[in-house]
Amino acid sequence: MEKKSTENGLPVKNTLSLDLLEHISEPMGKYPYRGWETVYREHWKYDYTGRTTHSVNCAGSCTWKVYVKNNIAFKEEQYADYPDINPTLPTYNPRGCQKGANYKEYVYGPQRLKYPLMRVGARGEGKWKRISWEEAMRYIADKIVKTIANHGPDTITFYSANPAKFAITYAGGLRLANLIGGVVCTFYDWVSDLPPGEPVTWGVKTDSCEAADWFHSKYIMVWGSNLLETRIPDAHFLTEARMRGTRIVAIFPEYNPTSIHADIFIPIRPGTDGAMALGMANFIINKGLHDEAYIKQYTDMPMLIRMDNKKFLRESDMILNGSPEKFSIWDQNTGKLVLAPGTQGFLGSQDWTLNLGPINPALEGVFTAHTISGQIHVTPVFSLLKQKIAAYDPVTVSGITGVEGYLVEQIAREFASAKPARIIAGAGTNHYYHNDLTNRSHILLAALTGNVGIPGGGFDHYVGQEKIWCEEGTFDLASPLGYAKQRYQPTTLWTFIHSHITSDVDNLWPRPIIDYIRESVHNGWMPLYPEGTLDSGKSPKILFIWGANFLNQAKGVESLSANLWPKLDLIVDIDYRMSTTGLYADIILPAASMFEKWDISTTDLHSYINPFTPIIEPQMESKTDWQIWQALARALQETKFSFTDTLPDGTTVNRDFSTLAHDFTAQGTLTSDKAAGQFILDNSVETRGMTMDGINEKPRRFVATSEEFTSDIKDGIAYYGFQRMYELKQPLSTLTGRQQFYIDHPWFLEFEEELPVYKPPVHEDKYPLRWITPHGRWSIHSMWRDAKYQLRLQRGQPIVYLNPSEAAARNLIDNDAIDIYNDHGKMIAHLCISPRIPPGMALMYHGWEHYSFRKGGFQSPTTIRIKPTQLAGGYGQLKFKANYWGPTGNQKDTRVEIRKDKNG
Amino acid sequence: MPCIMHLVIHPYLSLRGFFPKQSPVEYANIYIRIPSSVSMERGIIMAIMKQIRMVFDLNKCIGCHTCAMACKTMWTDRDAGQMHMYWMNVETQPGTGYPKDWENQGGWFNADRNTIPLPNIYQGYGAPWEYNYKEVLKTEGGDTSAPKLFPSPKPSEHHYASNWDEDVGKGTFPNSYYFYLPRICNHCTDPPCVEACPRQTIYKRSEDGIVLIDSKRCRGYRYCVKGCPYKKIYYNPEEKISQKCIFCYPRIEEHKGNFCATQCVGRISWIGYADDTNSNIYKLINKWKLALRLHPEYKTEPNVFYIPPLSPPTYSFTGKLTNSPRIPIDMLAKMFGDTHDQNYDQRATRMKQIFDILQNERNKVASGGNSELIDILISRSEADRFQV
Repeated sequence: MEKKSTENGLPVKNTLSLDLLEHISEPMGKYPYRGWETVYREHWKYDYTGRTTHSVNCAGSCTWKVYVKNNIAFKEEQYADYPDINPTLPTYNPRGCQKGANYKEYVYGPQRLKYPLMRVGARGEGKWKRISWEEAMRYIADKIVKTIANHGPDTITFYSANPAKFAITYAGGLRLANLIGGVVCTFYDWVSDLPPGEPVTWGVKTDSCEAADWFHSKYIMVWGSNLLETRIPDAHFLTEARMRGTRIVAIFPEYNPTSIHADIFIPIRPGTDGAMALGMANFIINKGLHDEAYIKQYTDMPMLIRMDNKKFLRESDMILNGSPEKFSIWDQNTGKLVLAPGTQGFLGSQDWTLNLGPINPALEGVFTAHTISGQIHVTPVFSLLKQKIAAYDPVTVSGITGVEGYLVEQIAREFASAKPARIIAGAGTNHYYHNDLTNRSHILLAALTGNVGIPGGGFDHYVGQEKIWCEEGTFDLASPLGYAKQRYQPTTLWTFIHSHITSDVDNLWPRPIIDYIRESVHNGWMPLYPEGTLDSGKSPKILFIWGANFLNQAKGVESLSANLWPKLDLIVDIDYRMSTTGLYADIILPAASMFEKWDISTTDLHSYINPFTPIIEPQMESKTDWQIWQALARALQETKFSFTDTLPDGTTVNRDFSTLAHDFTAQGTLTSDKAAGQFILDNSVETRGMTMDGINEKPRRFVATSEEFTSDIKDGIAYYGFQRMYELKQPLSTLTGRQQFYIDHPWFLEFEEELPVYKPPVHEDKYPLRWITPHGRWSIHSMWRDAKYQLRLQRGQPIVYLNPSEAAARNLIDNDAIDIYNDHGKMIAHLCISPRIPPGMALMYHGWEHYSFRKGGFQSPTTIRIKPTQLAGGYGQLKFKANYWGPTGNQKDTRVEIRKDKNG
Repeated sequence: MPCIMHLVIHPYLSLRGFFPKQSPVEYANIYIRIPSSVSMERGIIMAIMKQIRMVFDLNKCIGCHTCAMACKTMWTDRDAGQMHMYWMNVETQPGTGYPKDWENQGGWFNADRNTIPLPNIYQGYGAPWEYNYKEVLKTEGGDTSAPKLFPSPKPSEHHYASNWDEDVGKGTFPNSYYFYLPRICNHCTDPPCVEACPRQTIYKRSEDGIVLIDSKRCRGYRYCVKGCPYKKIYYNPEEKISQKCIFCYPRIEEHKGNFCATQCVGRISWIGYADDTNSNIYKLINKWKLALRLHPEYKTEPNVFYIPPLSPPTYSFTGKLTNSPRIPIDMLAKMFGDTHDQNYDQRATRMKQIFDILQNERNKVASGGNSELIDILISRSEADRFQV
């Protein structure tokens, strides 16, 4: 009672009279009692500091200083000591965000896992028994051995996300999988961050510039990439570019934080981005604003297409024993058909170059070619493109996108006239079913205008990351037996099949999706484990999850929980905090936090290496992931189990567990986390000559790039993509060696997707509101979604943003409890009414844990929709490689309805 | 040390009139207002030798709250009584702000000081929610006793938290609008909190002009909370004292920047001393006249300045792009100005002038020219932002 009265009112007068008060003659500048000021100076005292970063899959990779007093890490500060690339560019300092500033909440908070736990009730019931590490390891090892013996090693599955965020931690699980024959799940395609248009067009997973290169652009279309919220440490390069006169165009369905700092905001209907891009491309070509010399040399635009079967005119069409990977162009100088240099068929020869020499290829016209089977007509890709995209006139595009035709033309003209110009894209365009087409249309715009391969220009995609600095070293550590001996699984396919998802997009294609899956698996285009799944109904038995929250984040989560989860005999979750996945696991192993271990972090967004270091000891009984995997290897070694494993390629490996721990540590040379880190540094060209202690002293910029990159890294120059193509005339790894817009794979031809076209978002959920779950400011996926210091700066619980008209139509008021539902699932959240959201859309920032909802989860209304083009293989750049090519687990085509929740 | 700056002595005391202190003796302490915070004691002019100033560029603010979290984890996560406090907060404007409706609560300039409300922690600042983690997560083993995580008290009961209006904004789609406004204590030249405190517990340091509450003398009467029209002083119900932004003086004393500025990853802020004509804050405020005060009509002479936000143009009914920024000039002119005595029209004119300067300088650089202003706004090096 006493406290309550002083909170709301001033104290009563008589307390004053008890207090002897000395008179201050002058508080402005001469206050006599300043001795108290030591109070705050004391707050600021510390014993020592250490360097770390955060492995939370944000692609931030920010170097942080942690202050420690009495062995407690009490304060985090952005280190801000990245060396500048050159003085004309804004610095990378400081680098961090409000989440990294408060990671300590997880180190010491109630979410922190402290001991190994074993489930004692039903799965998900929340009954746990504390067990010892020895018990946990023996239990898991025993299960593994029995499962291999009974079902085979390919029923043991490993899921983690992204080596870039924690190379050693990621490599630990993969190393064990590689040694015992387990299956490693991909993540980049599954989370739909992989832009499939990049492997299709460029033959790369993703190659984006580092953030500093944005500063070089004269024109930036920020298209479905909410940089201000989702690239917090890099956003200043955009606002600073704007200050120096770069025109910023924001293209989003909703008026979001990035739009507020744009010169033009273009509201576009969700999922129609491809149509706008093709409308712009059409205008650019019609007005002759395209860069003709550029597209002749660096794209497949001059490549000749057979008019009889729509395929490339190959050397093998024309001469016996000709190469199917050599293609023709029409040389206007000689009036003759010639083979284009630089295609895959020239690999290893002196003609493997994009240098055209005296050839001046035709971009338009119909020509005659003499093939083995007779005379046929051929025409360049550019001719076909021009005809095909003529359909995207301003009126049509405006009808599809809701963007006025004049604006499409105005933006097209500006973009084409402002070299270097750039498109920055992300999840806003990539998390749709037809993401490959949208990517291809965006890249088309950048290539038509000659912007790919120059500083400040191009198509740069930022969501998730897969271009990994130190990749060779990381994968040498992850795969002691080599990449070829590793079973990799495209996760979207695995989850779709084992969760028994019913495809609702069969009507979009000539045949049902399952037919394409069967054909793809049968042809060896996509792997599907365990082997025999489609024929004999085999299913996975053990799932390891570490550094990821697989269950919480999964699309189609309702089917996954109902069908896939019960198939698993053992689910092991390794984490430093309890997540939704942990709550539905069988064994939980407590991992060291990011203040407690050596590790390595890198990002697409800058070109420096960041270490994690053990600033404090692992808390309670937690261990570093590297030590946990080693402990498991030791427990498996004790079983002395051995078996002969026949790999999918027909080779066999004799797997003898009696030496497993020795193999894991490379005969004791990789026992410590730090040694594992040094192994990565030593085996990567990027980090030649660096040491773990050295990178702890000061961030170092990479010194070279591997073949995974399309550009060299140079002193004083911010990294940007495709410099080797543009400057060195080095062909890309596509079939045509160029930026390839025409794909004559039979499926692409069958689906009429040989060239970029527009296909509308999937409308299979018969509900009125587009369900958009973007990345937001307050979490990195599920990380910090449950952290109270963050939640206090939000509304404390999950909210859905809705336009006032949609709220009014449903009789809803702000902060109402609402049901969000469709045929796939339902959830309950609270309403936030805002005019920044267009009618027809409901927006919830993603990542909320299932336990934050009274019912359901943010993915409850989603399903898995597989696009058959993304199952294709056997064609140049279209071949399965982990996290390079595979079906994406997109979710933005989802539609829902909202109503007031009965229970308020 | 005597002050050697322009000693333009105004014949009045505070901008708000004579001090209503408790005793007649105190009325005799005459405050003299001159541009660089100089005070006079019993006839001797004592200078606030230096005045620290800060500029926020709202065109660079990304609303990330890294400043707020940096401040929170350094100074105000010490005890339960600080949980509702954000010495540094970022609010979406238009919006109710933090504390709720602070712009409508008044301060020591009010004619009737008895009507100034005192914000309640729950309704005014937003409840510092606690969560039932331990019941749900059972990280040490045992049986879960609650299946779901929920905040208490329930957000539905108060409809307010310190950032409740985040990204809500106003207007009609597609012409919706909003911007982010970061706010700390303004370390005013004419601080009403100093004047309001009956115990004379609040003072302004001579060496840097930082305004501090002596936590040893303070008894938590909260006249300062009422007195500050920006509501940047907070009551700590655990310690029963009032607390506020200290401009990270322990760091300023070491010639390091304050946390909210050095940790600002949007790189939107500059700090420096008012009389340092080489500093970028001087150039932004005095030379280019690009930075304005928030509500100068409160007559406290804040030492925190803002570069007002540009915004993308609106669309007309027929879908044509207009030339009008979507954040109404009217709204901005009501919020920002140079001096307390400017009228609305003068403030609106200044707003347009600032936008013209920004646009002209951007165009100049885009066409290959150089601009001192743009170089400052970009501030390629951190040394360009921190001149202390």
